[in-house]
Amino acid sequence: MERFDSRQRLLIAMAEQLKLPLLQIARTAEQAGTSPSFQQSNTISSTADIALRMIDGYLLSILPVQDQLPLEPILVSAVLQDTAHRLSKVASDYNCQIEVSIIGRQAPVMANRKNIEIAYTLLLYAFIQAQENPVTIQRVLLATHKTPNGLEAGIFGDQKGINNEMLRRARALCGSARQPLPFMSSSGGAGVFIADNLLQAMNAPLHIAKHQKLNGLAATLLPSYQLQFTKL
Amino acid sequence: MILLIEPDLVLAKIYSNALNAVGYEITVMGQAQSAILALDAQLPDLIILEPQLVGHSGIEFLYELRSYADLQNIPVLMHSFVQLEAFNQSREVLRTLNVVGYLYKPQTSLQQLITLVQTMPKLAIK
Repeated sequence: MERFDSRQRLLIAMAEQLKLPLLQIARTAEQAGTSPSFQQSNTISSTADIALRMIDGYLLSILPVQDQLPLEPILVSAVLQDTAHRLSKVASDYNCQIEVSIIGRQAPVMANRKNIEIAYTLLLYAFIQAQENPVTIQRVLLATHKTPNGLEAGIFGDQKGINNEMLRRARALCGSARQPLPFMSSSGGAGVFIADNLLQAMNAPLHIAKHQKLNGLAATLLPSYQLQFTKL
Repeated sequence: MILLIEPDLVLAKIYSNALNAVGYEITVMGQAQSAILALDAQLPDLIILEPQLVGHSGIEFLYELRSYADLQNIPVLMHSFVQLEAFNQSREVLRTLNVVGYLYKPQTSLQQLITLVQTMPKLAIK
């Protein structure tokens, strides 16, 4: 904690403290959701769970451990499938259809499990919230494919205006009063920046990518050569 | 019977109601000292412990618990706001204290908690 000043420590303490009321909301709603007359409780529970993950992601992204992050071989396709499953209820509330596209057999990559799980959860949530037209069902794609540099895994959608200039400006505007991600979020877009920080700690910052003609944000992860059973 | 040691009253009520609803008898205690006293009245099949308690910490509670011969074999499941990594220095100690599992509370649903409890041999619902 000595690397933080008193204001940062206060913010960390507040983030830790916020977990308790959010957990109370999430679990109360989960319990109420078992009754057929309280079906909306599932939405409350899922939303509070995502808020808890965002706080965990924030705390994780500023911890000193990020400087020397332990990496392990991880199957990105499994992480994407889990993420899609985790947010399926929220996606249906936003009239959004989540698809997962895994192209080819893929070897594990070197990553930190906690970082990568929270990063893709927050990124997917940002894409789900960014639906422009709430009437028609929108597609959000979690996809991974091989590139010469490694395995590219990201979230892709119909949003217009996702380009390198947008990402450069967004990083510069992070935390300011101006909307950093006007094409994706009406708010500060904190989830995208937390995801970016968590992925950067694994030397895999977010970049603009395309998949099946959809625009998106992806990270290029290095394969684990030790456990490579398929040729990249 | 399950002894739930949970300092937050709202969460204690939620967890005990959820476990009660699937058929478990639950005793709830908010502090380490009252938990030790409760153990004198009835031995539980499982203790679910939040180690961040008011007064004595959960780790102190574990040491006291294991110091009594008749309480050494009761399995303890940690269910905590503290991330497992924070116990890095003492993971081995947790094992020697017969902590059978660890759940990070903010990312554990009621259903996951119930499922794990049901996998415990003495607590499987027949």
